[in-house]
Amino acid sequence: MTTSQGHQRRTGHDGATDHVGGAGQSRRGFLRAGGRIAVVAALPPALSACSGSSDTLRLVGVTDQQQPVEELLALYRESRPGESFTTSFAPTEQMQTVVRTQLAGGNAPAVHAVYPGSGSAMSMVELARAGLLTDLSAQPWTKNIPEAFGAAYRYEGHTYLYSAGSCLIGAIYNKKVFARAGVEPPATWTELLAVCARLRARGVVPIALGAQTPWVTQLISYALVPNAVYAHNARFDDDLAAGRTSFRDSGWADALDRYQELQRKGFFNDNPNGTTFEQQTAMVATGRAAMAVQVSAVLGVFRESAERPDDLAMFPFPGGDDPADLWIPAGIVVGLGVSVRARENARVADFIAFLGKQENIDRWASAVFAIPFRRDASTVVDPVLKAFLPIVDAGRAVPFMDQRWPNAEVQPAHFAAVQDLLAGETDVRGALGQMDDAYRRAS
Amino acid sequence: MTPAPGRGRTAPRRTEPVPHPVRSPRRRARYGNYALELVMIAVAVAFLFPVYALLTLSLKEPRQIAGSPLGLPAPPTAHNFTHAWSSASLGPALVNSALITTLSLLLLVVLGSTAGYFLARRARGLGYGLYILFLLGIVLPFQLGMIPLYELVDSLGWLGTYQGMVLFYTGIQLPFTVFLYTGFARALPADYAQAALIDGCDHRQAFTRIVFPLLRPITGTVIILNAVFVWNDFFTPLLYLGGSDRETVPVRVFSFVGQYVSDYGLVFAGLVLAALPVLVVFLLLQRYVIKGFAGGLKG
Amino acid sequence: MSRSLPQPEEIQPEGTPPGGTPARKTRPRETRVREIPPPNPRETRSGPRGRTRPGRDLTVPPWGFVVPALVVYAAVVLYPAVAGVAYAFTDWSGIGDASFVGLANFRALLDDRRTLDSVVNTLLLTVAVVVVQNVVGLLLALGVDAGIRSRALLRVIFFAPAVVSPVMVAFLWKYVYNPENGAGLNGVLGAVGLGGLRQDWLGDPSLALWSVAAMVVWQYAGYSMVIFLAGLQGVPAELHEAARIDGAGTWQRFRYVTWPLLAPALTVNLMLSTIGGLKLFDQVYAATNGGPGTASETLSTALFKEAFVYGKFGYSTAVALVLALFVAAVSLVQLRFLRAREVTA
Repeated sequence: MTTSQGHQRRTGHDGATDHVGGAGQSRRGFLRAGGRIAVVAALPPALSACSGSSDTLRLVGVTDQQQPVEELLALYRESRPGESFTTSFAPTEQMQTVVRTQLAGGNAPAVHAVYPGSGSAMSMVELARAGLLTDLSAQPWTKNIPEAFGAAYRYEGHTYLYSAGSCLIGAIYNKKVFARAGVEPPATWTELLAVCARLRARGVVPIALGAQTPWVTQLISYALVPNAVYAHNARFDDDLAAGRTSFRDSGWADALDRYQELQRKGFFNDNPNGTTFEQQTAMVATGRAAMAVQVSAVLGVFRESAERPDDLAMFPFPGGDDPADLWIPAGIVVGLGVSVRARENARVADFIAFLGKQENIDRWASAVFAIPFRRDASTVVDPVLKAFLPIVDAGRAVPFMDQRWPNAEVQPAHFAAVQDLLAGETDVRGALGQMDDAYRRAS
Repeated sequence: MTPAPGRGRTAPRRTEPVPHPVRSPRRRARYGNYALELVMIAVAVAFLFPVYALLTLSLKEPRQIAGSPLGLPAPPTAHNFTHAWSSASLGPALVNSALITTLSLLLLVVLGSTAGYFLARRARGLGYGLYILFLLGIVLPFQLGMIPLYELVDSLGWLGTYQGMVLFYTGIQLPFTVFLYTGFARALPADYAQAALIDGCDHRQAFTRIVFPLLRPITGTVIILNAVFVWNDFFTPLLYLGGSDRETVPVRVFSFVGQYVSDYGLVFAGLVLAALPVLVVFLLLQRYVIKGFAGGLKG
Repeated sequence: MSRSLPQPEEIQPEGTPPGGTPARKTRPRETRVREIPPPNPRETRSGPRGRTRPGRDLTVPPWGFVVPALVVYAAVVLYPAVAGVAYAFTDWSGIGDASFVGLANFRALLDDRRTLDSVVNTLLLTVAVVVVQNVVGLLLALGVDAGIRSRALLRVIFFAPAVVSPVMVAFLWKYVYNPENGAGLNGVLGAVGLGGLRQDWLGDPSLALWSVAAMVVWQYAGYSMVIFLAGLQGVPAELHEAARIDGAGTWQRFRYVTWPLLAPALTVNLMLSTIGGLKLFDQVYAATNGGPGTASETLSTALFKEAFVYGKFGYSTAVALVLALFVAAVSLVQLRFLRAREVTA
């Protein structure tokens, strides 16, 4: 057994492989060899059969992309009759499982959802590193991607992701509730605490928090960390990667302290760990709570739940005390990538080029309440996002932190750490320790 | 082994006369009965609370859900149902689901009953080994074979086809089916089949004419429990059929669920529509399901 | 059978649910003409297996009966699983290249607190689900097996949750478990004067796992009921009649007549709920995603995360393999015990 394992090692499965295309083959070779060791020698090597190719092009996305993709596909078909994609959309984790299985099986869809930067199992960096994405750098729109977003779209200098722009984290608030309590959107942390205290005195939950839904746990951290960390050190991610700092010994500790301060002062609803995103939405939309720290992408959901859509607006969540130097999080939204299997396909390239036209970038961005990565005179940004534009244009918008994390374990560790923190099961040092451990784990 | 005399080997039990037993109604029992009925109804009401939640949510618009998620819908709206039906094209999806489920069940019943009968009769040595081998299939986590199986279906050119799904469900549910059939077939006496064999039937005829009718009760259980699994399975059809025009009901319903955007009124309306056909089948099959063990133990 | 059920003149007291509830259960039942008492089920059930007669048993069907099933099973389950086992010895991420790492994944498992903690949760959850689901399922079966008028409807009501997709059940129960006062289950408790029992069902780390278990029991108690019900139908009315004439009380009739004859149904139910509990995934993942923190993480959710969220497919396969061996060992022991019990009951 030992010798045969040793033999396996030598026959080229741990060697450096040419990234493009070779990966799947080498893994299949491994699987066949591994299978032999595991006593399947008698069975036919069905794995070597080539995958059935057909003429239909598949697009697999997440449900959150469904609206813009279908809207743009319909437009695309108008201009090019006969050209089409079959589409399927699923919740994030199911999409992730399906596409990873299809990638592993050598049968990736031509176009599929890809997350910006690194830090998730379906992220641009992870897939590009494995040689599974087509280089889109030849597409004209890639020249307009601002340098600040480079890490989200590019790996080793090549662009592998199409995404329309960035989505913001801020406070979605109920204007009526604010008006009744006689408060205005705060511009500094101190003002925020005062506003919350005032709201609480009026019997309203100041901030609804739906931490039962894992991704919601991270939003307040993300809203606070730009001021606590990046305002002082724009190169924090590089320092973290080089081991010069850690979550525990950085501004992250201040951010989580403030997160805890909000809870300690009773500014959250009771039982945030048992409250779901939907319940959080309902609380703000109906005025049982005054605001929620959320991504702009969910503005539509909040509005659908409110009596009048106009009752809800959004302001930058002030993590610092200098209103002129407010830093905010702005993350590139989940986009699309082209599988290497479709790299020679002119129809796919044509479709991506179509998506890259300014008017289509604008369409996609407005469907998900995002700010297009490039704006021109025709671009219309939702009025509630106007307050964010000067901050974004001044370069004080920081990508969502997970998009620079080296592996897919840090983000879930962050979710768990925040829930533990809210439940009183750990303290700030312990919570950040969990994240540091996950960060250092080999990817 | 005690044969049941008086029972013609060519006369399966369903044709037997069913006389009323001679029993005297008893008053005390009847009062106890009413008390039991009340208790059971109370339990049923408690059981129905989540079902009430499901229905009331499916009859509300988002802002009604936000206002009072589990209050009575005022006014109720059928919009979710019509919208789920049309925008998710549930009609064609129901046809796909029905076809895949029916064909899978057919194969499961044929393969499972023959194999179960065989393993019940040959319960030692290699037969027992095979039984344990089948049991292993209930135990294995799905992740283990997921990728090789995907490659296999792909290499057969069966992605996006009915036969790919039918093959998958038949294989994946066979262990459970064989487990049920074997357990119940063990309780069947060998004598019926033996008599048929002496009469000149071959094994296939003896099985189809004598044994299978006796297995009918457990067949009802097998059908309903497998139908529930196949009908509701979401991940596999998404993996094998996603994007094709063969998508099943759960795949369509799940397309309403997103990280940021999910309209649960719509999701639950789709869910109600998806669950109804299975409930109807259960109603129809109930008498077989309930008789599951009866065939065996009374033999 | 249910068609011919509601015939009050046939009502006959018969047994009682365990626990000695005074409510008498009754069962109208069709009986068949029999010239001799029913055969001893023990003898019947053991079938040819119980016979030590040498030579070939002519009633044993030929191998052709099992081969088609075996071929399909081997192609769809066995071959892929065996081929998949190879990943357990690699560092494969799920995409791209893999290297052989020998037993490193298994060694890593021993130091993996996250996964080992999930084993404890898995066991707690399984024990809770197996015990409660089967007790509730049995009580429901005894209840709707009696000659009450609403039995046909009640059976559908109790079975209905099993018909719905488990993920959707979890979505639904998040509304039931809404911690706000006046909402969901808390609202009902408040309305019936049990406000003191209001809880943060999914958010309290010491409660989340049990809340998930309650949801699973709600969904599958009817499933167990159906199988017990099938078993109850096999209890010959004559035996009860005989026992009653001999002066046996309802509890005694349940204990000495019904219960032993329920053994096959109990075997099936215990096996299925144990395996189901140990492998439970959809409900946990959709309801709590293992949280809050890692309070409700089970082996299945942990290994799913390793495979598809963290991108550690090789390691997750090793965990899956260990899970499979563990579940197989538990079920084999259970099967041996239950089969032995069936024979001696």
